Amino acid sequence: MASQVVKIALAGNPNVGKSTIFNALTGSRQHVGNWPGKTVEKKEGRLYLDGVDVIVVDLPGTYSLSAYSIEEIVSREFIIHEHPDAVIAVVDAANLERNLYLVTQLLELNVPVIVALNMSDIARGRGLTIDAARLSAGLNGTPVIETVGSNGLGLEALKQAIQQAAASREQRRAVIAYDAVLERELALLQNAIEAIPALTQRYQPRWLAIKLLENDEDICGRAVTDDALLAAARAAAERIESETGDDAETWITDGRYAFISSVVSSAVSRPREALETTSDKIDRILTHRIYGLPIFLLLMWLVFQMTANVSAPLVDWLDAVISGPLTRWTAALLGALGFGGSWLEALLTEAVIAGVGGVLVFVPVLIALYLAIGVLEDSGYMARAAFVMDRVMRLVGLHGKSFLPMLVGFGCTVPAVYATRTLEHDDDRRLTAFLVTFMSCGARLPVYVVIGTAFFGASSGSLVFGLYLLGIVVALATGWALKRTVYRNKPPQPFVMELPPYRAPRLRDVWRQTWSRTSGFVRKAGTLILATSIGIWLLMAVPTSGGAQFSAVAPEASLFGTLSKLAAPVFAPAGFGTWQASGALVSGLIAKEVVVGTMSQIYTPGTPDADQSEAPNLLNDLAGIGSSFGEALVLTAQEVVNIVPRTLNIVPGINMAEADFLGAGDQADDTTALEAALTQNFTPLAAVAFMVFVLLYTPCMVTISAMRHEFGRRFVLYQIAYTLMLAWIGAVIVYQGGLLLGFGG
Amino acid sequence: MTSQLREVLNRFDEGAVPRSLNQMAREMQLELGVLQVMIDYWVRKGKLREVGLAGNACVTCGTNGHCPFIVNLPRAYERVREGEAEPNPPCACGGGCSV
Repeated sequence: MASQVVKIALAGNPNVGKSTIFNALTGSRQHVGNWPGKTVEKKEGRLYLDGVDVIVVDLPGTYSLSAYSIEEIVSREFIIHEHPDAVIAVVDAANLERNLYLVTQLLELNVPVIVALNMSDIARGRGLTIDAARLSAGLNGTPVIETVGSNGLGLEALKQAIQQAAASREQRRAVIAYDAVLERELALLQNAIEAIPALTQRYQPRWLAIKLLENDEDICGRAVTDDALLAAARAAAERIESETGDDAETWITDGRYAFISSVVSSAVSRPREALETTSDKIDRILTHRIYGLPIFLLLMWLVFQMTANVSAPLVDWLDAVISGPLTRWTAALLGALGFGGSWLEALLTEAVIAGVGGVLVFVPVLIALYLAIGVLEDSGYMARAAFVMDRVMRLVGLHGKSFLPMLVGFGCTVPAVYATRTLEHDDDRRLTAFLVTFMSCGARLPVYVVIGTAFFGASSGSLVFGLYLLGIVVALATGWALKRTVYRNKPPQPFVMELPPYRAPRLRDVWRQTWSRTSGFVRKAGTLILATSIGIWLLMAVPTSGGAQFSAVAPEASLFGTLSKLAAPVFAPAGFGTWQASGALVSGLIAKEVVVGTMSQIYTPGTPDADQSEAPNLLNDLAGIGSSFGEALVLTAQEVVNIVPRTLNIVPGINMAEADFLGAGDQADDTTALEAALTQNFTPLAAVAFMVFVLLYTPCMVTISAMRHEFGRRFVLYQIAYTLMLAWIGAVIVYQGGLLLGFGG
Repeated sequence: MTSQLREVLNRFDEGAVPRSLNQMAREMQLELGVLQVMIDYWVRKGKLREVGLAGNACVTCGTNGHCPFIVNLPRAYERVREGEAEPNPPCACGGGCSV
């Protein structure tokens, strides 16, 4: 039967293995509840040591014993009012300096402290050698026990230290000598406190003096109500600030770190390179002042190689399924129901399947893009990209934080507009919102991919990369000009960014994020794009001249064709002055994906493919879908492999052969109906000019609405006017310049 | 007389180019964790400000404020200028509220 009862508290920073040590000490003899009147969990356990009944209280994980959080107040009040026989301070040996801050505060409370130097195996792994005896001496004889909570190492020594502390109840004196000015004021306050017995009975005078100087919220006015003492504390704090230039709390905190630094320097030896981790070494290259940007561009180029080329076989497969079997089955089903040749069949095949399906075929493209970006994000590189781009932004006078909304703009412009709220100056917000529209959002990608693939085949990845890059350049140039004219304010503040260690991407997380982003695109296809496709079909079904019937009118003679013809001459100098192109661009004001959907409706309205004249055969179709899917997967693998030669072939003198798993020319046969139609209606130069226009022109209506909500109608009108003008000028320069340079019409 | 804590602020004031916490810790011969705590101290005192993107932006696309396009970048800090207002937090409601 135990005869003596002692109370031990376990304190420590969060995530230092405190709970592991608590469990190892108390086993199953635990009780979990809440601290009285608080929602903070209180864990208590028991341990029997040679007739001593030890109650172990696990205090909440805290970094200090100030009054900044409820956990800190709970821990501090327990130590002050419950008078534990000893406090075991569990410290992470691998992050000793940070963890010793709490230890210094425990020592200032004048309670017996035992330091459990936990995770010492990890510290050794990092090349740190900690001399426990020297550390103990530096902490004025505080016992220091090396422990590894996960395997129980040091547990017996810790139990012995508990027994000794319980037996001796020896208290350690505060060991930190602060700056002379501070010590002078502390001594004065300490004297004043010692003259008030009600306080000395409850608090250690020096600790209370420190707390008064720190203006600790929980002490000043609550624990201490003596007006004279509080006034003396305020006067002392003012003298310190006027003499040193910093407030007392800063000097006290600084004094603790100076003390920790001297203790650690005598007790810890570390290899010269210990301060530089592997991530730091990688960052020396990836965030380098000169190489950082080219590396970022190379990685982006690889992302677009993957986006445009790797996804191409699956896009072709999906397109073949939608325009082939799906259209055939729909037509056959409607025919069987008696709707063959009706407006309903036209609506379903021309609006829903051609319009929405024409957009959905690009799901593999978006999956590839978001997968690649997800890998960069999860590996920790995206933070470096922001870091590298911050320098570029600063060069043109933009705030580094502006890049954060711009980065979001590569996915969707709407959240990018709202993300400008992180900028504190209204001018910076407006300027950044103005620029985010030039960051090519995911919705524009299908336009680039379908046109790029139609005209430039395997080089489409580079073309898409070039368009994204052009968007960034235009944004920076616009920002540079506006910063010097319209939005002049203070120079941007530099910031310091935490760079997390690099790690292998977690595929599950990457996939979850990829799907989350792609599913938004799919949802949009089923709502906004579906509605727009139906609206455009209706406009294309309404004849503008007598004689023609509803849904039986030639597209160019429809209301849509007639209206589009009105806008077409405007685009003639840019090389795409056709009603089809202008119609697609106007519909793109609703959502950028609609440009592709509209082109599908115009150029391939339920286009019967070679097999459509035959009666649909379910088994044949299913077999065909299965075999073509297998082929698409093989070609996808081939494109993945070919990223290597395509990348190396950039280097002059290298001409590495590309893999061809299924024999030459397989992909050439997989041109979609829309791609084929585009090559007949655009010249390559006009196609590039068209893509430049899509890149730069007015954002979608949801973005416009977000901008109006955030910045007002005037801002939006300027934005629309500027982007339309810039897009037109850009497209004309590309087309006319290309003609002058002899790239052909 | 300059405290090490003050030195952290001074480095923010001097910094003409963006820097990483790791780089600053190396320059100051500090553990990264200690620098982080020192920065937290100045954030509490209102001398530094944490910058970055919150998780939510808008609900216009039906993602109920959990926009998948928001890139979660690590924390970054900047100096607070005298008399400078706090930035508006990105709003989860996407419009209509007074934030």
